[in-house]
Amino acid sequence: METVIEIRGLTKTYGTVKALDGLTLSIPRGGVYGILGPNGAGKSTLFRTLLGLIRPTEGEATVMGGRIGDPAATRRMGSMIETPRFPPFMTARQVLVWLGHAHGGVASSDIEAWLKRVGLTEAADRRVRGFSVGMLQRLGVAAALMTKPDLVILDEPTSGMDPPGIQEMRALIRSLADDDGVTVILASHQLQEVERVCDRVAIFNKGKVITEGRVSDLTASGERLRLSVTPLAKAMAVLGEKAALDGDALVAAVPRAEAPAAIRALVEAGVDIEEARWIGADLEDVFMTETGWTGVQGTPAKGTDHAG
Amino acid sequence: MLVDALKSEAYRVSRNRTAIFCSVVLTPLLFVFGGLAYLLMTKAKGDALAAKANLPPEMGNQPVNLAEAFGFAAGNGANGVLLVFMLLAAAAVYAGDYRWETWRLISARNARPWLILGKIGVMKVLAMIAMLAMLIASFLFFISQAVVAGRPMSFDLSDFNLVEFLLTWLLSYIRIVQYGLIALLAAVVSRSLLAALFVPWALGFAQGLLGGPLLPIIGWAPTDWASQLLLPGLAYDTLKAAVAGDTPAPDGLVVKAITSLVLWCVVPVAASIAWFQRQDLSKE
Repeated sequence: METVIEIRGLTKTYGTVKALDGLTLSIPRGGVYGILGPNGAGKSTLFRTLLGLIRPTEGEATVMGGRIGDPAATRRMGSMIETPRFPPFMTARQVLVWLGHAHGGVASSDIEAWLKRVGLTEAADRRVRGFSVGMLQRLGVAAALMTKPDLVILDEPTSGMDPPGIQEMRALIRSLADDDGVTVILASHQLQEVERVCDRVAIFNKGKVITEGRVSDLTASGERLRLSVTPLAKAMAVLGEKAALDGDALVAAVPRAEAPAAIRALVEAGVDIEEARWIGADLEDVFMTETGWTGVQGTPAKGTDHAG
Repeated sequence: MLVDALKSEAYRVSRNRTAIFCSVVLTPLLFVFGGLAYLLMTKAKGDALAAKANLPPEMGNQPVNLAEAFGFAAGNGANGVLLVFMLLAAAAVYAGDYRWETWRLISARNARPWLILGKIGVMKVLAMIAMLAMLIASFLFFISQAVVAGRPMSFDLSDFNLVEFLLTWLLSYIRIVQYGLIALLAAVVSRSLLAALFVPWALGFAQGLLGGPLLPIIGWAPTDWASQLLLPGLAYDTLKAAVAGDTPAPDGLVVKAITSLVLWCVVPVAASIAWFQRQDLSKE
């Protein structure tokens, strides 16, 4: 598998806090790669490190074949880290011209095309100090993409956008990967967005990757069996650690292949089974399970029901 | 790629009207209008004195030699007002990326030393434009002098010394750039626009005091190594006097003054680049 980013044992500490803790990760070329994690998981720190904005405390990484901070490699990247900020006295068009100069020149036709693509043509000559967060996001995306990068890092690209803007952004991200062959790395708290757009994801927690893989594989592996049974306590005892209470039912983390045996064991123990169905995991379930987040008042992570 | 850094920084500063106005336009305007006000006030007093003393009218009728504006502009190019207002542009150029959090947009596109050198290059251009604006202002002041006093104008280059003019011009230019480089170091170390503005101002003020009334009190002679090295303004004045050749400079004084100005230029640049190379360019 050809990779665009190779990270080995990357650590970044701020005083006693480890923002990245021996992180190891390979990101393949092509497609959209999602990075998920709760606040403080180390996503933004990783992006800043890959862009050469901050120096790792330990470890190493290569980006597009070059070491961290090598301008020859980072010039082939586009990025938007959190809500972008720009010199307030410049207009949107001037911002793109300025960044174009910094990159060795970008044709004015490309700048106009990107202003149009992100829906800022009418606001192109307005000073950015009056822009909303959503408009700044759009301008940030244009700034990241106008240089035709091979790799794009987008950190929360839809934050502050209205619903039509979010849909446009999703379509844009997919088209970058599918039509332009750009590798997109996307961080977002919108798990549905990530599930819809990304091919692979890595879930971060406390500066480490805790799981990584294709979205379809991760969600398939999170399927659970929801059982309405009587008596509940006996069923819990039979299934042991695999079972958790979900209201007046229980949810069993058993693979499909082991489900018949589990049901047989319940029946043999004298448990009445009123209903059994598969609840599939969506990315939110996987995220909550992997990060140990149990939701409000300690209830188990919710799943998306589907008959099974 | 220094060219990319220069182009982008020049484009950005060209869109920053406040920085351009303060660095290039404001001081010459103040100079012209302040000078005009001064001329009008002194003319009123002078007319009264002349009438009282019953002076012959031809005494005040010598032509104003506009060519003297060259020497005047070169000698006063690095005046205190210009230095202070240039700091506004220097702070915007050197500390703007910290203030607006825009390092993340440009630092991935170029090597860090080029980014710093690009900023210095743009400030050098601004300093030259500011001096040219002061030259124009000097001509306007001399013309105003002739008009207000009702004196004829001439353009007599017979006393004009090109080498002296160029050397003085160069010294003033170096002094402006050097003062701005303190803003560079303050900006990089503190990441603060206000520090880039006030650290050089405070340092300049302290150096002015030390070089003036305090120097004899602390027992240093202006010709000492310590005085010259610690006070770039004094070194600048020393070299200007040496170029003018008014009085012969003591042995080695010129070397001390040159060393001072060179160090005050090289050290802030080297320190800023070294610091910047290892700096985290992101707020956490």
